[in-house]
Amino acid sequence: MIILLDTLLVTLILTGFLLLGSSRLGASIRISALQGIMTGLLPLALEHGDLFSYVSLLGVAVIGLKGYVFPRLLFSALRESDTSREVQPFVGYMASLFFGILFLMGSFWLDTRLNLPVHSSSDLLVPVAFSLMSCGLFLIVARRTAMSQVIGYLVLENGIYCFGLAVVSGMPLLLELGVLMDIFVAVFVMGIAIYHINREFDHIDADRLSALKG
Amino acid sequence: MSAENTLPILILAPLIFGGISLLLRSARGALRFCAAGTLATAALAGITAYNVLRGGPAETANGWLMLDALSAQHLLAMITVFCLSSLYALIYFREEAADGRLTPKMAGRYGGLWFGSLAAMMLVLVSNSLGMMWVGVEASTLMTAFLICIHASPGALEAMWKYLLMCSVGVAVAFTGILLVAAATGPAGLHGMDALLWTTLMEAASRLNPMMLKAGFIFIVIGYGTKAGLAPLHNWLPDAHSHAPAPVSAVFSGFLLNAALYCILRCLPLVEAATGNEGWGRSILVIFGLLSILVAAAFIVMQRDVKRLLAYSSVEHIGIMALGAGIGGAGAAAALFHLINHSICKPIAFFCAGRIGQIYGTHDLPGLTMIIRRAPVWGAGLIISLLALVGVAPFSVFLSEFLVLKAAVDHSLYVVAALFLLGLGVVFIAVLRHIIAMAWKPAEQQAGPVKFSLPEALLIFIPLAIVLLLGMWIPGPLLKILSRAAQVLGGLS
Repeated sequence: MIILLDTLLVTLILTGFLLLGSSRLGASIRISALQGIMTGLLPLALEHGDLFSYVSLLGVAVIGLKGYVFPRLLFSALRESDTSREVQPFVGYMASLFFGILFLMGSFWLDTRLNLPVHSSSDLLVPVAFSLMSCGLFLIVARRTAMSQVIGYLVLENGIYCFGLAVVSGMPLLLELGVLMDIFVAVFVMGIAIYHINREFDHIDADRLSALKG
Repeated sequence: MSAENTLPILILAPLIFGGISLLLRSARGALRFCAAGTLATAALAGITAYNVLRGGPAETANGWLMLDALSAQHLLAMITVFCLSSLYALIYFREEAADGRLTPKMAGRYGGLWFGSLAAMMLVLVSNSLGMMWVGVEASTLMTAFLICIHASPGALEAMWKYLLMCSVGVAVAFTGILLVAAATGPAGLHGMDALLWTTLMEAASRLNPMMLKAGFIFIVIGYGTKAGLAPLHNWLPDAHSHAPAPVSAVFSGFLLNAALYCILRCLPLVEAATGNEGWGRSILVIFGLLSILVAAAFIVMQRDVKRLLAYSSVEHIGIMALGAGIGGAGAAAALFHLINHSICKPIAFFCAGRIGQIYGTHDLPGLTMIIRRAPVWGAGLIISLLALVGVAPFSVFLSEFLVLKAAVDHSLYVVAALFLLGLGVVFIAVLRHIIAMAWKPAEQQAGPVKFSLPEALLIFIPLAIVLLLGMWIPGPLLKILSRAAQVLGGLS
């Protein structure tokens, strides 16, 4: 199982890098879907034993949402707008990748400093969680289009999910479903917001939403 | 009806009302249904809170739902805000519903979201699990986001996007904090469901891992602080408040911010108990509180829009509450008293500002002149509520601010007291200048006074009279509620 787990974690890091380096919004949505599926598979790869039915139910829900429902929602929002790529982000793609590497190194360093009580057979889980969280935050602040910011939010959410898997030994199902439900509605609402912004402004450039100041 | 039985109904009732609202086919009908449903929920919530305050904390649903003095006190503040705002919505939307700017479909959606956000905030207050509290806060963000842009103007959309993104990310950070709190339960041997129940955590507080809990608390303060509008995380707040329709602004300012602050306050006694009551957690709140007061004061000085002015005033008042809770002891009780005063006063100010905005067609302060003559009820209401909000004696806001100051001096926090006074002084002078201009600056073109009806006057002046009364005399039951709620915070023993 440890090989499967590590493979998933490394893929997660790689998808994070791909998102940092990609300018096409369509490709970004696909990559984030892949990342969602990987996070959904994670709990199955962790040893849980007696909790298997519960874990697999949750895994199916996560994969269904992040791998199928979200991408469809985002694609339909994207089709409504004429934007297909991120033009001139605040931080260029090469620089973003460089930041990604810095985040990864920082995450490993933070992990050695924190000494969190981890319920996992892999040492990679916590650093990957930190690196995904920082990647997500970075995408939100460094990209201009509303679509990229939503994808950043999803990456942040994936990171928090990994972190939860690492430090909490089993959350109540009701709570997990509540959280998942909220994220679902969040993305749904953001998708609709993008649609409205596009109709009202003819662009989904969140940076140009800047009339309100002071 | 015992409180145990009514707790689940408190969440379910607004959800059902919300569903019905979506089906209504008349704008006026939907708004009336909104008011009726809110009043019904409020009556039930009032009975529940009364039972809890008389008979002690109530727990039900395997400990998932819990109401104690602190949440009951917040519950009372919340239903006050929602009742006032739903009644005011009838007045605010009257013209829009009549001339078709508010279509029946929009009104139905408004009702659905209104009850949805009521249910979400109710969930925050009656949850015992820190996790479900989080679900409630996030759900309230999503429900209220569309309330901002009932009328989809570019400004409203921009405000909504900012609100949605900042608060979703902030609240996600708070969730990381909750995970850290759950991880802190390792040494106490709590598992699964127990690990996040507040009552269980409080019992096991001395056995929790203090380092993890501290880390968790920082994340929680920053995360929920974004939603509560604590500076420097308040950027979304003035936009959202100023672009939402007035009844929604009133709910935002009157209780949505408090719901997020409530989550921080819930975790405060936990951290204090686990770290040996050294005041570590409280000092963080003092810093954020002071910062909010001072930042808000600076922005209020250069404000030119009346609704944004009120929004920054909310940042200031949330800061005062955080400061009071952070000082602890009598300060915590004063902060909770301040919460009640603010929750009555601020919605009234937003009501008046909203109507005046409709009458004048602008929210720009320089354009609002001779408001008492032009709109007697709304103008006088706005000026009185602004005076109350900046802490003019004998309104109760003055009393609660004075009590916070006194608590700071009693705890020998002289620098804190001085900075607090500085902030209040700046706000006082800045707002007073605007008040004088609004009331007496001669108008460029004179228009006749707008007619008003008795219910409008009652809706504005009864709450203001209550604020005035509370400033001179606090009834015994209220005093008991406040001290019991402050006990939960570890303030008074």
